[in-house]
Amino acid sequence: MEILTGNELMSGATVYLDSAGTWVEELQKARVFGKSDLEAKEAAIAATKRTGRINSLEVETVTVKDGRIVPDRLREHIRATGPTAPVFDRQHLDEDGHVSI
Amino acid sequence: MYRYDEFDAAFVRERTQQFSDQVRRRLSGDMSEDQFRPLRLMNGLYLQLHAYMLRIAVPYGTVSSRQMRMLAHIARSYDRGYGHFTTRQNIQFNWPKLRDIPQILADLASVEMHAIQTSGNCIRNITTDQFAGAAADEIIDPRPVAEILRQWSSLHPEFSFLPRKFKIAMTGATTDRAAIRFHDIGLQATTNDLGEIGWQVWVGGGLGRTPMIGKLLSGYVAHEHLLAYLESTLRVYNRYGRRDNKYKARIKILVHEEGIESIREQVEAEFAEVKGGVLTLPQAELDRISAYFAAPQYELVNARSVDVAREKILNPFYGRWLERNLNAHRQPGYVSVTISLKPVGGAPGDATDTQMEVVADLAQRYSFDELRVTHEQNLVLPHVKVTDLPAIYEVLVKNGLADGNAGQITDIICCPGLDFCALANARSIPIAQELTRKFESPERQAEIGDLKIKISGCINACGHHHVGHIGILGVEKKGTELYQITVGGDATEKAAIGDILGHGFVAEEVPNAIERLVNTYIARRESPAEPFIAAYRRLGKEPFKEALYGAN
Ligand code: SF4
Repeated sequence: MEILTGNELMSGATVYLDSAGTWVEELQKARVFGKSDLEAKEAAIAATKRTGRINSLEVETVTVKDGRIVPDRLREHIRATGPTAPVFDRQHLDEDGHVSI
Repeated sequence: MYRYDEFDAAFVRERTQQFSDQVRRRLSGDMSEDQFRPLRLMNGLYLQLHAYMLRIAVPYGTVSSRQMRMLAHIARSYDRGYGHFTTRQNIQFNWPKLRDIPQILADLASVEMHAIQTSGNCIRNITTDQFAGAAADEIIDPRPVAEILRQWSSLHPEFSFLPRKFKIAMTGATTDRAAIRFHDIGLQATTNDLGEIGWQVWVGGGLGRTPMIGKLLSGYVAHEHLLAYLESTLRVYNRYGRRDNKYKARIKILVHEEGIESIREQVEAEFAEVKGGVLTLPQAELDRISAYFAAPQYELVNARSVDVAREKILNPFYGRWLERNLNAHRQPGYVSVTISLKPVGGAPGDATDTQMEVVADLAQRYSFDELRVTHEQNLVLPHVKVTDLPAIYEVLVKNGLADGNAGQITDIICCPGLDFCALANARSIPIAQELTRKFESPERQAEIGDLKIKISGCINACGHHHVGHIGILGVEKKGTELYQITVGGDATEKAAIGDILGHGFVAEEVPNAIERLVNTYIARRESPAEPFIAAYRRLGKEPFKEALYGAN
């Protein structure tokens, strides 16, 4: 299973594409694409690129465990929550940082 | 210190305005990210895991109080109240927002700083000995020449798109504190048969995926011809350096593949063409630049030294700080003071805005307004009267900056790693934190003596792990962070690349593995006067391999 993630243009904050087509901060709200969602995923990537507002767009593999989205890579855990050492809150979106496709 | 002339000021101002317009066009959608990315990188703006990162150049590691206060202001106003000093003597801010970057650059320009050429395949910030212009063992202050090289290399039209980035380090002292053998070009001051001072030129050193020790390209190049000689070297690299493979594009690979003799031949042929031409440095110009770096107005003082043994009895913390954090100065009665950015449990190289302000105040009051950033991620007050040491120490204590651990096992070089860096494979800061906790005891650190640990979160080796007496490289294997330990690296004039002794360790095992290496050293050293690196050279790998992995 896969999710789409990137960094929002203004703040650089880590964001995820949700089911409503909005780029949001919370990993748990990310839309999970299964094997049969290839077309939808490609369409979402294309639409995201058209906004010009999401950088470093990546497809990340995840596992859904007990209803929770768990990224396969440690890198993604850290991107989702912020640095572990020193501990800092993750970057947040500004008022004008909300992007939809 | 060097001050911008009208040309410098206008150039930086124009670049700031230009980038401000580029940001505006990016935000308005007139420019795509593909178009914008190379422009932002030319201005030191990266996009990392969590946010943008702005890397600001600190030319040859020299910074004034006014400039340090501006860095504090940027940390406080646009970031999260701290900055990270790097192994390239630069500073990075980890949380700026794109809309604030133009103002940050304008603020920087107001104190004669910028972020140009801190990224890209160009000549990067020229680094040097943090004690330049102060060290007792110095032949010459390298900073006037470093400044001339900075001017020559800034937006050099021929060298703005090299096959790969290019790093120059230089030292005017006999002891190499700038790791010059591990740079694309390393310059070491030397004298010729007539006693005239010039430069040894080393080429093809580097760390990263393929660590190499630089090779001697020329034993002596006079000041006046240095620019022509370097231009010739860069030209040969630009012409023949590989552009087909990013991993083979550094000059070290060219030197390795072609051989130093062949490279020397090419450089000499080019040099014969350009020598004596427009790149000849007139003495008057060297004198003009040198005047900016003239020795400060030292006082003639009676107190020439500190009785460290006595101070250690009176106040062991202060005594230890004196013992570890002072460097001999050329001026009697003065020393250079290392301000450690390596507190126990801290992130190596990080300083808060308040700490930056405090250090700026100390520099203004006690060190002729001058500070240095070290490639080992500490700060330095270069010119301090010995009688001022107690007052300085008191201020440092109040601000969490008084660790007396320079050159000891807790004075760790560490890159940002997977907590921040988009290229990382593993975290590095938590490893450094655990190690400082493990070896927290000052007595234990004193018992161990000089020992340099260097940690990188990936093979790019920004944390210089190859040249750590003990190096730690983070890798990722099947989703787990593993740490490869190397032993025997050395960044000084005795340049050596550390040996890999076996498989990697998971994070939890690293502190104990390092302790086993340390215990082996202590058990096997000839005396406490034999440092770790010397003992390793004498004993060889075997005892240390056994310490890590047990007997076969
Ligand atoms: S060594 Fe790797 S992880 Fe560390 S800062 Fe450099 S690129 Fe990033």
